[in-house]
Amino acid sequence: MSDLTLHPTQKTDAAHAQLWQKVSPWALVYFVVHFGVRFVRDGIFNLLPLGFVFVTQVENKLFWGQIAAAVAVSALLLYSILYYRNFRFCISSDNEILLNKGVFKKERLTLKFERVQNVNIAEPFYFKPVTLVNCIFDAAGSAAQEAVLPGVTQSYAEQMRKQIFAYKAQQQLEPDTEVETDEAAEQSSLFISNKEIAKFGLMSNMAILALAAIAPLINVVADVLEKQLITKVEGFYEQELGLVASAALFAIFTLFVFVVLIAVLLSVGMSLIRFYNYQLYFKGKKFKRIAGLLERHQLSMSLDKVQSIVIKQNIIARLLKRFTVEFLQASSGGAMAGMAAKKNKQTLVLPVLNNEQVNSVCQWIYPWFNNSALAFKQAERALWYKNLVLYALLPSLLVAVFCYFNELNYFISLGVLGVFAGLVTLSYQRYGYYLHEDNGRFYMVVRKGMIGVHYRVFELYKVQSASSESTYLMRRSGLKSLYIQLAHGFAFMPYIKEQDADFVIDFTLKQAESDTRSWM
Amino acid sequence: MFNNQQITGLPQHKSIEFKALADKAPLHAQLNWLVFYIPFSAILAAICYFNENFANNMQTYLLIGMPILILISMLYSVASIKLQGVAMRQHDIAFKKGIIWQRVTILPLARVQHIEIHRGPIERKLGLASLKLYSAGGMSADLQVSGLTHTDCKNMRQFVQDYRQEHTSTQAVPADE
Repeated sequence: MSDLTLHPTQKTDAAHAQLWQKVSPWALVYFVVHFGVRFVRDGIFNLLPLGFVFVTQVENKLFWGQIAAAVAVSALLLYSILYYRNFRFCISSDNEILLNKGVFKKERLTLKFERVQNVNIAEPFYFKPVTLVNCIFDAAGSAAQEAVLPGVTQSYAEQMRKQIFAYKAQQQLEPDTEVETDEAAEQSSLFISNKEIAKFGLMSNMAILALAAIAPLINVVADVLEKQLITKVEGFYEQELGLVASAALFAIFTLFVFVVLIAVLLSVGMSLIRFYNYQLYFKGKKFKRIAGLLERHQLSMSLDKVQSIVIKQNIIARLLKRFTVEFLQASSGGAMAGMAAKKNKQTLVLPVLNNEQVNSVCQWIYPWFNNSALAFKQAERALWYKNLVLYALLPSLLVAVFCYFNELNYFISLGVLGVFAGLVTLSYQRYGYYLHEDNGRFYMVVRKGMIGVHYRVFELYKVQSASSESTYLMRRSGLKSLYIQLAHGFAFMPYIKEQDADFVIDFTLKQAESDTRSWM
Repeated sequence: MFNNQQITGLPQHKSIEFKALADKAPLHAQLNWLVFYIPFSAILAAICYFNENFANNMQTYLLIGMPILILISMLYSVASIKLQGVAMRQHDIAFKKGIIWQRVTILPLARVQHIEIHRGPIERKLGLASLKLYSAGGMSADLQVSGLTHTDCKNMRQFVQDYRQEHTSTQAVPADE
């Protein structure tokens, strides 16, 4: 032993030499798909100018197009093959995962076991016949640090997961290790039918995202459409309905409906791809979720790692009487990283739940939580007055001025006043917060919304920082707004009594500073 | 059920005594404004010089407006600096700021992810520095104070680092660094 510690580098090198492994040849399929997707996703916008030149300048489009496609495909294949040949992994005796990868730029990725947050298992459709999976090691926070072992057997991936969690439990030296409690605890489960998942497509903002994704292309699309479609549709309206004057308007309207319909269909398709055959299990403070159409993605998350829980319902979800629940983990580097974390499946999303399902999921984790029965403390009336003046009266006055100059009916501004005052009132009524003690642990729930509703539940000791804000008028009426920063997202509660805000801040800080548990 | 009873012995952040920024902080703020206004005025002057049409229309307004604008922003920045204050407590750091929206932010030292000290050329000349404290999840720095003396900054950084070292060693889970 002493001999080995004298030459640490030799020791590790020797250990590695024995254990460097290649992945199964089937992994080649994964590399092809992976780089293909990346090429399309990252490269497409860079190639747009080239595409423009191609469309406008090149004469023999078919011929050169075929050549370009052939070159691209063979480059992709060659790159994937080389990448596969260079790809080696090793589980070192120092409890690290080592990856050697790269074609032009060789890189070595070292991921220590204790840095691994989750081990996720994904089963893409092309691995189904050969019963292989991708084993994904999720490092805290950054996506670039993520390590993937493609094309390993299910049992190997599960063994890796066990090994890493056993190591982590041992490192933590806590008397109640999760591994032991796992066996005894009973398992709760939740399944969501694909019909419900399709509703998520209607509810989610994916439709808007899909539109945003094609937005840069909209000019090109519009040009093509104008030539190809609008004139035809216009002609159709002219001929069939005899609407000469408004035929163009109708044509554009038809097209608009068509585009929205496509976006909605896309959104439904995307949510089905993401959440197909949704299964969720909860056992011993751990979630396991399996979902996905093209790739069965298995995600595991420990409840202790969750920074805050969001239960939300937007306007469409309210019509459908459904909720979305999100379990959020720490994200470093602000909102952009938060978005990336969502995409990178670090967030556990329960896409469509009805009220009973929300309640039953809450029963697993926080039995005290019942969104309709909690006695929320509301914002003070001053918030309502302020918002009425700022967001209802002022805009309607502006509209009135506009009406005056354009000789329009003044009832328009009255209508604006009515609608905005209604929305302001709804939003004022939604704001609320609630503090709760459960077995010596303290929780806070913050509610907001307008037509929909949004709850954020978090344990107080996980709070990152707390602020209060007040204007001169607020201080005169003894009011403050409360802002609490969390490791993922924040909670904001406007216009509450000064002593309440001060109490919440003092109490929260006490929890954050005196609790010895790790907030991560 | 949680009761909002007065808990005796809960440390109250209201009683924090904030320490004002360095004496040279207002000067620093003024110089910073000048760095913006001098080139801005120079550009306007150049336009007036070369474009007679513009000069005829705008010269009087600019000659009256610019000094007022500069004066207001100078006064505003002095008032803003005077209203800022920092305080270190045993377990956290507090910062207050704002003229219209007065804001008090308190960041527990155990939640500090990393600390930065920034010193621009003017700050170096005046012996000042800016302190930035980051926690997880924030958009940018959770707490950002400029106009502290460099020594104060270094002391605060040392205090936070000592605190982290002391507390991570007793904690069950080692921190990432």
